Amino acid sequence: MQEHRTQGGPDSADPIIEARNVCVTYDLEHRDAMVLDDVSIDLRRGEILGVVGESGSGKSMLANAMMDAVEEPGITTGEVTYYPEDGGEPVDVLDLPTEELKEFRWEEVSMVFQGALSSFNPTMSIRGHFEETLAAHDYDVEAGMERARQLLGDLYLDPDRVLDSYAHELSGGMSQRALIALSLVLEPQVLLMDEPTAALDLLMQRSILSLLADIKAKYDLTILFITHDLPLVAGLADRLAILYAFELAEVGTATQIAHDSKHPYTRALLQAVPNLDAPTDSMRPIEGTAPNPAHVPDGCHYAPRCPLATRECHEETPPWVDVEDDHRSACFHSDEAEDAVPFDLSEVSDA
Amino acid sequence: MSYVLKRIAQSVLTVYVVISASFGLVRLLPGGPLDYLRAQAVQQGGSDLSMSEINARIAAQTNIAVNEPIYVQYADYMAAMLQGDFGVSTRYGDPVMSIIGPAIPWTVFLTATALFLAFTVGVSLGAFMAYKEGSSFDVASTGVGLVLNSTPGYVLALLFISYLGYRMELFPTGGRYASELTVGFNASFLGSVLYHGALPIASMALVGFGGWALSMRGNSIRVLGEDYLRVARLRGLSTRRIAMRYVARNAILPMYTGLMIAIGTVFGGAVIIENIFAYPGVGFYLIQGINARDYPLMMGGFIIITIAMVVGITVADLTYGVLDPRAKGGGSRESY
Repeated sequence: MQEHRTQGGPDSADPIIEARNVCVTYDLEHRDAMVLDDVSIDLRRGEILGVVGESGSGKSMLANAMMDAVEEPGITTGEVTYYPEDGGEPVDVLDLPTEELKEFRWEEVSMVFQGALSSFNPTMSIRGHFEETLAAHDYDVEAGMERARQLLGDLYLDPDRVLDSYAHELSGGMSQRALIALSLVLEPQVLLMDEPTAALDLLMQRSILSLLADIKAKYDLTILFITHDLPLVAGLADRLAILYAFELAEVGTATQIAHDSKHPYTRALLQAVPNLDAPTDSMRPIEGTAPNPAHVPDGCHYAPRCPLATRECHEETPPWVDVEDDHRSACFHSDEAEDAVPFDLSEVSDA
Repeated sequence: MSYVLKRIAQSVLTVYVVISASFGLVRLLPGGPLDYLRAQAVQQGGSDLSMSEINARIAAQTNIAVNEPIYVQYADYMAAMLQGDFGVSTRYGDPVMSIIGPAIPWTVFLTATALFLAFTVGVSLGAFMAYKEGSSFDVASTGVGLVLNSTPGYVLALLFISYLGYRMELFPTGGRYASELTVGFNASFLGSVLYHGALPIASMALVGFGGWALSMRGNSIRVLGEDYLRVARLRGLSTRRIAMRYVARNAILPMYTGLMIAIGTVFGGAVIIENIFAYPGVGFYLIQGINARDYPLMMGGFIIITIAMVVGITVADLTYGVLDPRAKGGGSRESY
């Protein structure tokens, strides 16, 4: 077993964004306002990386940190490196001067938020949002609007109708798709999606996910998809990263995580998620509650709720273990997890 | 479009009801205007006047011909009102319209200037307070705004006229402009108008801006916390565009109806202030009418103020949809 604490997720041959030891805190002096704790992970060029965790586990913070968009008074430390296409100069995102950061966001790395309705200015037409974004980045507005129409069309929206509408005139699914189009209008390489389907009904979630796969292929995107819904993203993502209480717990391919998880938390999470195909009595809630950032346990953050926890777990931070090729788990007992938290996940990954 | 027509019809109906009510008040109040005018006429003319002469005089003053059956009275009265004939003032002996008409621009000048100052200063200050939320500037301004907003305008007016007007003799204590000047577009006349208007305008504006500032502050803070503002920043929009097109626009919107109602009060809003400063505007004549039991003048003043208010609110309703797409009238736009 090898220790890889500072490396977190497995290394990659061709990362597009490389996050190393990223912390987000609201108080530099004390460690008790840490909302993202020493997370290192690669976003590989062309992949869809699903980041899964409970509410308040630091998922959004990770996405925000990747475009240095953590809001005041939050402080982001560590390193985020962006590698442009065709071997351009790597960009140190957290060190970008204000003007360059402004350009970097939306032109290279863009973001889609949950709650699309509240992401639009209620007194401005959708067209206005596209035009002002193009103008603010000195893009050719006419060509940009042509691209916007194309994008809206690709998302199965009637471009002119939507462009002339105001946000309140669109349904939830329509405004979410319009927001995706808006985030792609400057042709970014990377799309960070923060729970983009959380406010939608199940059917709309599915249809947005399948649209995403098409859009990704057509526009050659790399996507970071944040959700609390593991089964939802398991079918879409290439790789999954599981966050628990501000730390990464496990990183691997979607199949490895869904079928062969080597972390008790991931397994318990899968067991706790309702699934149409699985009988309800196979669902098991995870005992206890997630810690709040002011009282994070020592050692493994999951230890107080973990059936496998030993003294070691409560005292020391668990090392990263290569459990398979390209699959890492931060657990002292990764080889026991399967027996301790048994779960047949075959239905889940098919969803 | 049907919404616009409906809304205008509503306003016309409101005005119609108000004028009808004024007829009812003048005609039906026991010991009311008609009896009073009759007694006045008898006193003045003594026994020389016949009853029909007295009635004719009353009819000329109030547009109500006492001899006719009541529905004819009503029809005549309404017809006269619609032609802008509000009767003849018993105190000044002139048609009411020729007294109030020329006073309207002066009142509008006072109140509109005061409102404009209060609104622009209030909105700018409120926005600034919101950006500096929690600073000592914000706390101090909130305190000052609250105190001024709770002060009645006439208190300030009385302080102004007694100290700045009478004791220190810095400002005139009455009139629209210095009487020796000729009316026209020349510097000394306009200067005199501003000089005479300064104190009334100041006493209205000073008690007004605090309220606007406080609402603007609250609205701006709400907008600053909206998701769309964060998205706008991430999209790299300029600070200026965010301040104007995002924060200001969305923060001022809820205050728009209040502003339009305030504009409605522009015509009659300065009743007490005009009297303190002996400034001959609509409100000044209204009080004159009340004091002299000059019913035609009084009713004329009331009706003009009411009409102005109704027009102000109607315009507010009709234009709100232009500013706020969510309020576009009557579901005429489809939602998808």
